[in-house]
Amino acid sequence: MLKPTTLAMILAGGRADELNVLTYYRPKAAVPFGGFARVIDFALSNLMNSGIEQIAILSQYRSYSLINHIGTGASWDMIGRFRGVSILPPFIDSEQQDWYRGSADAVYKNLDFVQYHRPEEILILSGDHIYQMDYRDVLAYHHEKNADLTVVCKRVEKARASRFGMAHLDHEDGDRGGKLINYQEKSENPEGEWSSLTVLCFKPEVLYRVLEENQADGSFEFGHDIIPRLMRQGSRIYGYKFDGYWGYTRTVLEYWNANMDLLGDQPIIDLERWGIRTNLDHRGLRDHQPALIGKDADVRNSLVYNGCVVEGTVRNSILFPGVHVSPGAVVENSVIFFSNVIGRNCRFNKLISDVNTIYEDDVQIGINHGDSKKQIAVVGWNNRVPAGIKMGRGVTVSPELDRDKWPGFLEAGRVLR
Amino acid sequence: MRNAEDALVLLLAGGVGSRLNLLVEKRAKPAVTFGGIYRIIDFSLSNVMNSGLTRVGVLTQYKPLSLMSHIGMGEAWDFTGRTRGVKILPPRTGSKDSDWYQGTADAVRRNVDFIEVNDADEVVILSGDHIYHMDFDAMLEFHRAKKADVTVGMMVVPMEQIHQFGAGITNDDGRIVDWEEKPEVPKTNLASMGIYVFNRNYLLRSLARSGNEIDFGMHILPWAIENDNVFAYPFYGYWRDVGTIQAYWEANMDLLKQDGSISPERWQIRTNFEAEDRQADRPAARYGVSARVNNSLISAGCVVNGTVLNSVLSPGVVVEEGAVVKDSILFRDCVVETGAEVDLVISDKVTRFGANSSVGLGDHHDIVNRLYPKHLYTGITLIGETARIPEKMKIGRNCIIKCNALEEDFTAPVLQDGESLT
Repeated sequence: MLKPTTLAMILAGGRADELNVLTYYRPKAAVPFGGFARVIDFALSNLMNSGIEQIAILSQYRSYSLINHIGTGASWDMIGRFRGVSILPPFIDSEQQDWYRGSADAVYKNLDFVQYHRPEEILILSGDHIYQMDYRDVLAYHHEKNADLTVVCKRVEKARASRFGMAHLDHEDGDRGGKLINYQEKSENPEGEWSSLTVLCFKPEVLYRVLEENQADGSFEFGHDIIPRLMRQGSRIYGYKFDGYWGYTRTVLEYWNANMDLLGDQPIIDLERWGIRTNLDHRGLRDHQPALIGKDADVRNSLVYNGCVVEGTVRNSILFPGVHVSPGAVVENSVIFFSNVIGRNCRFNKLISDVNTIYEDDVQIGINHGDSKKQIAVVGWNNRVPAGIKMGRGVTVSPELDRDKWPGFLEAGRVLR
Repeated sequence: MRNAEDALVLLLAGGVGSRLNLLVEKRAKPAVTFGGIYRIIDFSLSNVMNSGLTRVGVLTQYKPLSLMSHIGMGEAWDFTGRTRGVKILPPRTGSKDSDWYQGTADAVRRNVDFIEVNDADEVVILSGDHIYHMDFDAMLEFHRAKKADVTVGMMVVPMEQIHQFGAGITNDDGRIVDWEEKPEVPKTNLASMGIYVFNRNYLLRSLARSGNEIDFGMHILPWAIENDNVFAYPFYGYWRDVGTIQAYWEANMDLLKQDGSISPERWQIRTNFEAEDRQADRPAARYGVSARVNNSLISAGCVVNGTVLNSVLSPGVVVEEGAVVKDSILFRDCVVETGAEVDLVISDKVTRFGANSSVGLGDHHDIVNRLYPKHLYTGITLIGETARIPEKMKIGRNCIIKCNALEEDFTAPVLQDGESLT
C-alpha cells in the first residue's frame, strides 16, 4: 500500500524572544544544534525514521531560513511519489489578511491542504525540541484506544509544572499511557504530573470540527484552547507516556544545557544512534574536508565537524563546520556556529557564537565571573570583534555591529547593540 | 540552452592499479578512499565540474560496482539536469564487439557512438586515478589558441621518475616535436599527465585509422605528433599518481601539511555523501575526555577516546581509550580497541583491531613483503576490509592481512615482518 495515511504538521513559526540574537534572523526551529544540524532536524529525522513521509511545516517568523534548510526534503528522504515536505507560511486571500494568530489558527488556515491529502491520522508536533521518538508507537496507541486525540506526555516535577500544559492521566495502560482525566495549562498547582510535549495525534474529523469551533474564540493555541475545549466536550483523549530525553531550547541557558548533553563519554543525546540527518547542501556542509587537528592542538570532550581547523585548545565545546581555532586560543564550554574564525590566544568560556563571526587576536569572553544572572554569553552573527576586547560572563552582542561600536571592555551581563 | 562550446569529457576509470594490492581487490583504483571522505575519482570529477563542463562519460572495466554506486546519477557533482549528465560506459557486447577494453584508445574507440551522439567541438580525455586540481577550461582555451589537433597536459617531474610516464620534448611554441612512452633513458623530464584535449573530428578520424592502435600514449599520440599539430599544455602544481602503496600513503599525509600545496576544500573537491551506506553522512566527530589528537585529519562520525597522531581517519572510525593510532590511514568504521597500537598501517573499512594488539610493530621497515616485494617495502602494513585482528596479536612491518580475516585464521600470536595472512 503506497499512499501514506498519516499527515504530520510541524509547528515551526515561533521565534522565542529569550533566545535573543540567535533568533533575530531565524525561527527557533532553524537554530543550529548538535555541531552540524538544526533544531528542526530532530523532528524531521524522527519522522523519517518513523516512516512518515507526508509533512507540512507551518512557518511564520523568517520563513526563508527554513525554506533554505528544508530544500527539496531529500535530506530526510521526503521526496517521491507520495512523499513530500511542504512549507506553509501565512498568506493573504480574499477572506482574510492575518498572520497566523496561534498554532491552532495556523492549522485551521491550511485545512484545504490537509483535506487534500485525506489523512487518516494527523500528527501535530512542535519543531523546537531535542528528542528521539518513533511516532508509530504513538499512532499504534492512538488506534488501539480509538482516541479522538492522543497527547504525548512526560512526567515532570511539580516545581517546574507551571510552565507547561499538565495532564492528569489514569493508569489504564500502566507505563504506556492512560486516559486524560484533567488538563491544566500553565497552572501554579496542577493536579496532573504529566507535561504535554506538543506531540498530538488527532482523528481528522475531530480536528476539523474543533478548529472550526475554535475560530469563534479569542485565542488559538492547541495547549491553551483546543485540548481544554475537547476535554469539556467529553472527547476520548488519551495520554501516551514518553520517558526518553526531552531537551528544551526556549532560553539561552536551556539551549546551552541541551548542547552540553551532547558531550561526555556516554552522551545523553546520541546523534548517531538517534539517526539525526541534516541538509548537507545548506551552508555548504558537503563541501568541507575532514577536520584538521593541528600539531599543538588539544581537543577534549568536544564535538568537531568537517571543515574545522583546530590549532588551539577546545574543551567541552561544540564546533560547527568550518570553525578555525588559531594557535594559543582556548575555547571552553562553548558552542561555536558555522565558519567562525577565532584568533590567536583568544580565551572563551561559556559562549555561544553565531555564524561567520571573526574574533581577532586576544579576545576574552566570560573569563571573569561578575555577578550576572546571565551565565552564557551570546555574540550575534557576522561580527568582527576587534583584538584585545574583554567581555565578562553572559554578555549579549547584536549581529553585525560596526567596528566603532566596540568598547575595550564589556562588563558581565552587558548588552551591546 | 546548452552552450555548444561545452566540451565532452571521457573519464577512463577502468584500470586495475594492481600495485595498490588489497585496496583494489574489490574495487577499481578510482574508487579507493582518499583523504578520509573522498574517492580518488572525486578529484577528476570535481575538476570537471569546477571547469564548467557538464557532460561526462566514465569508462569502467575492472570491478566497477563501487564506482558506479559512488557516482550514482552524478548529483554530487551537479551532473544532473536537462542538458547535463554522467554516463557509465562499461565494456559491452554488441553485434560486432564482444571483448573487454584492450587499452585506453581501444576503450574510447568502442564508445564512438557516445561521442557521436554528444555534439561538441572538443573531447577531453582524462583518467580518474590522480590527485590534482586543474582548470580544464584554461586548457581548452590554450588548445583553441594554438589551433591544435591535440593538446597534452604535461608537467615537469624529477628525471628519475620520467620512466613511468609518456615523455615529450617541445619547441618554444609549446608544440610537441618528439615523444617517448615510458623511456628507459629519458631525453626530457616533461611528463604526460594522461590528460588530452582532442578536436572531436580529429579524434574520430584517429580512432578510425586502425583497431590495432589501442593506446593513446603508445599509438595515437606518436602518430599525431609525427603528422599533425600536437601541443603541450604546461601544468604547475600538485599532482600525484597514487598508484603504489607508498605514493598513496604519502599523498594522504600531504593533506596534514598546511603549506597550501594540497587542499581538497580549497580545490572545491566534492564527494558523494549519500552513496550506499551513507558513508560520509555522519554527525560531528566526538572527542572524549581522554582524547589526544594531533596532526591528523578526522572525519565526521569518528569517536576518539584514545590517541591519534599524524593519521587520516575516515568517517565512523572508533579509537577507544588507551588505544594509539600513529602515521596511519584508517578507512570508514574501523574500530581500534583499548590498548591496541596501530603504527604505519593502512586499513580498509570495517576492520577491528583487538584489544592490546600491536599492528606495525618493530623497526624492520626494510624487510619487504615476501609475497609482494614490489608492493610493500617501506614499512607500511596493509589490512584488508572487515578483518578481525585478535586481541594481543602482534603484526610486524610490511605485512598483509587478507580481507575478511577471522580471528581463527591467525594461527600464531605473532606475524613476522614481511609475512602475509592470505
